[in-house]
Amino acid sequence: MTALLEIDDLRVVRPDTALPVLDRFSLTLNPGETVVMLGDADSGKDIVLCFLDGLSARGDEFSGTIRFNEGDAKQAARKPRPPFTVAYLPGTASRPLNPRISAVSQLARVIARKLECPRGAALAEFRGALARLAGAPSFELLDAPPERLDDVSLTWALLAAACATAPALMLCDHPFLDLSPSVAHTLTDALLAEQKRLNFAILYAARGPQSALRLGARTLVLRQGRIVEENDAAHLLGGQTHAYTQALFKALPQPVVDKPQRSSARGEPLLQVQGLGLNTPLKKAVRAKDALSFELRRGASLALVGEDGSGRRALMRAVLGLERKPGRILFDAVDLNLLSEAMTARLRRRVAFVSSNDDALDPRMTIWDTVDEPLRAHLQLSRDLTAGYRDAALKRVGLASYDGRRTVASLSPFDRRRLMVARAIVSAPLLVVVDEPLRGLDAVAQTTTCDLLMDFRAEQQSAFLVITSDFAVAQALADEAMVFEGGRVVERGQIRNLLANPKESATKALVEAAAIRPLSQAPGAV
Amino acid sequence: MSPAPLLRKFLIAVGWSGLGLVAIAVVLSDFLARAPAGAGHVGPILTPPSSLFPFGTDQLGRDILSETLHALNVTVIHALPAAFLAIAAGSVFGFVAARLPAPIRLPTRWAMGVFAAVPSLLLAILLIGLTNRDYAAAAAGLAAAPLAFVRVFDRARVSANSAHAAYARATGIAPSALLRRDLAYEVRDALLVTAARAFAAVTIILSTVSFLGFGAVPPHRDFGLMIAAAKPVYVQAWWTASFPVLSLLVLVLLARLAAGLDEGERA
Repeated sequence: MTALLEIDDLRVVRPDTALPVLDRFSLTLNPGETVVMLGDADSGKDIVLCFLDGLSARGDEFSGTIRFNEGDAKQAARKPRPPFTVAYLPGTASRPLNPRISAVSQLARVIARKLECPRGAALAEFRGALARLAGAPSFELLDAPPERLDDVSLTWALLAAACATAPALMLCDHPFLDLSPSVAHTLTDALLAEQKRLNFAILYAARGPQSALRLGARTLVLRQGRIVEENDAAHLLGGQTHAYTQALFKALPQPVVDKPQRSSARGEPLLQVQGLGLNTPLKKAVRAKDALSFELRRGASLALVGEDGSGRRALMRAVLGLERKPGRILFDAVDLNLLSEAMTARLRRRVAFVSSNDDALDPRMTIWDTVDEPLRAHLQLSRDLTAGYRDAALKRVGLASYDGRRTVASLSPFDRRRLMVARAIVSAPLLVVVDEPLRGLDAVAQTTTCDLLMDFRAEQQSAFLVITSDFAVAQALADEAMVFEGGRVVERGQIRNLLANPKESATKALVEAAAIRPLSQAPGAV
Repeated sequence: MSPAPLLRKFLIAVGWSGLGLVAIAVVLSDFLARAPAGAGHVGPILTPPSSLFPFGTDQLGRDILSETLHALNVTVIHALPAAFLAIAAGSVFGFVAARLPAPIRLPTRWAMGVFAAVPSLLLAILLIGLTNRDYAAAAAGLAAAPLAFVRVFDRARVSANSAHAAYARATGIAPSALLRRDLAYEVRDALLVTAARAFAAVTIILSTVSFLGFGAVPPHRDFGLMIAAAKPVYVQAWWTASFPVLSLLVLVLLARLAAGLDEGERA
């Protein structure tokens, strides 16, 4: 078979960096083949995508050769100009569209330019591609500005637009990052179905090994611009050679059906939710079938598992006092809705929150101020004592070497996540609310964050309320789970029981999406 | 650091350095000027710029360089309390109002929005009419306040509704502590910019009302009054108004540079 493209010994040097951003990169990609490039943000996979899409930065210097189809090998250049259609599928996190102009309108313009056809024909192609994708939202729903669309709908739109151009090569730039495992699973299936139909090759950039394993494809592991390991995803899962690949695969959270059960906490109830209506307007009575009740004891842990929009985050906002809902929420036996704002603040000082939102910390504050704030706000401690607690917390999360006068705005998402954990540590909380703690992080950062939270839980004996769409994360940080769908709890119980014997379809879908390999084949399977 | 922020920092430094020189000129104006304020027949009338009279003389034989220095003194001395009032009545009130309960906050924002939509100059003239010309500085300060209010109010609302404010509330940081935090950052990050911007705005308002005859009273002539006095002879003797105009322009430009060339409250 003639290869679609062959890159040989590609090297890219940027004028402002001493080392090449890509070095000795070789790749052969056949029609209909999928290759995953796995690595961190600065591993060089983005450089490859930009190169093939003709979007390399001005001033980049190239060496090596590239050959398309049966053509001659030619010197690599800033715009390689392949003789076939190349589609680009970005993730929504990179905000690829203007937020205020209809997504359909923008994507139709892209399709029209790629296919060199009138806008009407491009719209018809888009509509057709959308109809072929099982599970995609309707054309009419997508005819809205991206700021009004959720990430899942927007990802479907981007996928449909990419497929509508009938490409020979699709460049996937972390397309399903930040989506829940089950949604990513569905979208991956749709992508593979389109690949089978159109026989396009896929070059897929991913941060974590989940994508490679879902695609079941040949995987190049890149680090600092070089390929450090290459193998099929299944082989890599079985054993890795390079230490960096091992670190990436160690980051892969896997649910385990016979995980030893931690001792169940038997303390006093810490958080009691009684008759809460997640979908009921504030001044209306909650119907019995909609009323949500549960309690979380001191030192216990509970995961709220579900897709985006299933109601778990509405419950979290109600618990954190960010949104009023009908029903009662008692923290340490005190009804939060009956207290003044000042009194509620005093109670909430024993609540810590680790959010996936990178804007949750004030970007103007310094590292030191961020960690000191709970101590200063609630306790009359001397300056030395405050500094002592702060330094100890920063040490625990690995930020002690940073200049404490750096602002939050200058930190990476991983650093911000660790800073939130440090802030949680100093406040010695009774309850820690963790919202999608690993979302949006690189694979190694995911491992570190997960380890930090597990250590935190083990050492401080705080109760944990974990909001996640990933059962693997839920199992790492909690013992019990409630599964949400459509604003209601559809199933609850010990996580190992839910993994072994899910009863509801929503639970089954979430469990299947979280398991990279079938649970029956997982280590320690029953 | 990319060139744009570096250039901005450089321009801000130029602005503040220039304002520093202006402050020295204001303090030493009586020493630097070769003639007292309003002194006539210092030289022949309508003398063009020369080595003896670098800015020339006007129709009463006044030395325009000396008059410009005195006008700078008068303009700055009037503009400083006016700018202070604009900050107090605009920015501080805007910051506090943004934290008031919605039934008070929303009508206040609406009313100040209406005032902000009216040209500040007209507001100043109206306020002078309701009081008298002695209060021109206060009128200029109050006239510039609505725009400052709206700017600070809207910024404070964004901060109050931000994800980091919600995060702080969820973890037990009291509203008063959040207010203190925002105030500290507002003062640190925006006070100098706000002050420079308010100074530029009130300088323009004060000079314009004086030009129209509603502001400074002779013999305390500011730039507006100097330019107005040059009207009858300006076509024949360009230097009579050009130097006060250039001085005013430089003063406002320095204040705008000190504010980072931010779009400011306009007169």
